[in-house]
Amino acid sequence: MSDIVIQAENISKLYHLGTIGSGSLRREMQLWWERKILNNEDPNQYIRGGKKIDNTEAVWALKNIDFEVKEGEALGIIGHNGAGKSTLLKILSRIVKPTEGIVRGRGRISSLLEVGTGFHAELSGRENIFICGHILGMKKTEILKKFDEIVEFSGVEAFIDTPVKRYSSGMYVRLAFAVAAHLEPDILIIDEVLAVGDADFQKKCLGKMNDASKQSGRTILFVSHNLQAVNNLCSKALWLDKGNIRARGNTKSVVNEYLSALHKNSWIKEFSTLNEAPGNDLIRVLYVELIPHLDDPNNVPDIRTPLTVKFRFYNASDNIVLSTDLLLFTLAGECIFDIPSKPAIYEKGMVEGECTIPGNFLNDGSYSFTLHFARDTSSELFSYEECLMFDIADYRESINWYGKWWGYVRPDFPLVLNALIK
Amino acid sequence: MSEKPNKLGSVNWEWEIKPETSWWNISLIELYSYTDLLQQLVRKDFLGLYQQTLLGPFWALLQPLLTVLIYVVVFNNIIGISTGSVPPFLFNLIGITLWNLFSEIFLQTSKTFSQNADLFSKVYFPRIIVALSTLWLQLLLFGIQLLLLIVAYIFFLIKGEVDFNLGRLLLIFPVIAITTGIGFGGGLIFSVLTAKYRDLLSLIQLIIRLLMFVCPVFYTLSMVPEKMQWLVNINPLSSLFEYFRFAFLGMGSIDILHLSYSTVFMLAMVCFGVMFFNKMSDKLIDVL
Repeated sequence: MSDIVIQAENISKLYHLGTIGSGSLRREMQLWWERKILNNEDPNQYIRGGKKIDNTEAVWALKNIDFEVKEGEALGIIGHNGAGKSTLLKILSRIVKPTEGIVRGRGRISSLLEVGTGFHAELSGRENIFICGHILGMKKTEILKKFDEIVEFSGVEAFIDTPVKRYSSGMYVRLAFAVAAHLEPDILIIDEVLAVGDADFQKKCLGKMNDASKQSGRTILFVSHNLQAVNNLCSKALWLDKGNIRARGNTKSVVNEYLSALHKNSWIKEFSTLNEAPGNDLIRVLYVELIPHLDDPNNVPDIRTPLTVKFRFYNASDNIVLSTDLLLFTLAGECIFDIPSKPAIYEKGMVEGECTIPGNFLNDGSYSFTLHFARDTSSELFSYEECLMFDIADYRESINWYGKWWGYVRPDFPLVLNALIK
Repeated sequence: MSEKPNKLGSVNWEWEIKPETSWWNISLIELYSYTDLLQQLVRKDFLGLYQQTLLGPFWALLQPLLTVLIYVVVFNNIIGISTGSVPPFLFNLIGITLWNLFSEIFLQTSKTFSQNADLFSKVYFPRIIVALSTLWLQLLLFGIQLLLLIVAYIFFLIKGEVDFNLGRLLLIFPVIAITTGIGFGGGLIFSVLTAKYRDLLSLIQLIIRLLMFVCPVFYTLSMVPEKMQWLVNINPLSSLFEYFRFAFLGMGSIDILHLSYSTVFMLAMVCFGVMFFNKMSDKLIDVL
């Protein structure tokens, strides 16, 4: 039933860091002469301490990548920045050639590595729909057939004959995506385009892509940092790490594996001696840990997971009224809460603390904890900023909306509807 | 194309992406499927060129007109180059029209990679489509200039200062074709080189300026001294200008042998240019 439409064998891509080639004709010819004719080494290699150092450092952006994509499959590609995701998409879209390996496939490919490719600022929206459509590989008849649909989807009907340079950036992006969304290739390659536009438009785009993959049975390759979108759209996922495939298979398990590897390190901070520990003469924080209450340790904390923060610090002052605050910040630096401990008198020595945040309280997103130590609840002793960083994954059941859920908190307070009988 | 059996039997792969592009790998079928794009690019460039301008496409006329006036003043009135019985205005306009065709095609085609780096790194289509669209745009602009030339020609024809011969005039078509070919082939080769070595772009401007003096744009070959004839003979463009002027005015020396040399040179340039461009275009994306 499902045929293989893309088969990649041993794809590798080598990039040279720094300037590629020498940039000057004279040196290049000298190089060629020395290397090919005289069989010498590059005469312009730097020689440092008697050792030759190659001045053009080579980096494998991809190394021996093998994979197959079946017809109608949606494959998500995830990984850190610089893991080789974009290089892989560029090879598949025939923009760059692999250094080694071969990709074979069937069907028409359209790739969307950027919105608004080929737009001409001076020309009207109407002209640009045609230009962009043609560049992405649509035929004239196809564009004519879909023209009204494209204009309607973009929502810029009133300005369709205005030069696009007078568009707001939002209108520009909407028009550009509208063209792309109406492509009907056999294989669609998409890179991060959903990072644009407002929440409403993102929802529209994801919906359109969902239709494309689930209803029209189109093959999709999708690179995104929006793991929620990958989770919802893609059945299979590929995790690229430093040019190698780290994991592949079922999207849910790959995404979980990726997330847990990503965050495990920042969930605990422990120091063995007082001198290493962050702090000052008054306070030294020796240990902080975030413990998510998970049923399966391989999973990542999502919005349902209760979280416990444990910490231990050394108090260097005798007989002071001490209190600690646990603050939660968003990535953008807004404080969500500030939980204080009860002020009390402490002797010099170790003090331990613990706080548990229940599940179904925080929304999905990236957060950080800060620990704040105060004397007499007024003067600051030490503030350990961003001591723990963590992500909360999304979790939804029977909800057909894939955009970002609004708000910093997502409490599970009951909201009850009652139908009124006339 | 290759076939590889899988568990469902044999699969016909429709495309392959391999590390190297061969010299011969030019698919006309693929190019044909992009004719809509070619058309649209020409349209876009033409419209874009004159959007929000005062004179619009009349700019294509203004440039040769002003150049002709300067040439007439400098070369004919000040330096005193004789154009015989031919009005200096028409004499220079003929030369400049053909020269513009060559220099614009050569210069604009050679910018194919350096000006479209953004586009080329985001989407795939045969890169030569952009070069072809440049070629068509320049031919379109040349058409406008040719109209100007024809209007001027008719004007002097009515005044009785030049004569008319249809058979002779048809010569302009092969001349235009050969000139276009040399400019396009050279432009393709230099587009690859300028992508790699950016400084070559300014070199091209210089080459074009120097080349103009070697071509009989504002003089005839008969004015070239014996000692310098070799320069005329190795320059594949020189006979084209003589033929072009001959087509309109019936003056100047024409040489079939030299025209054949130009034709062979043109064919070689186009073939090598296309192959070189095609071979290198995939690699250049890494450099751009």
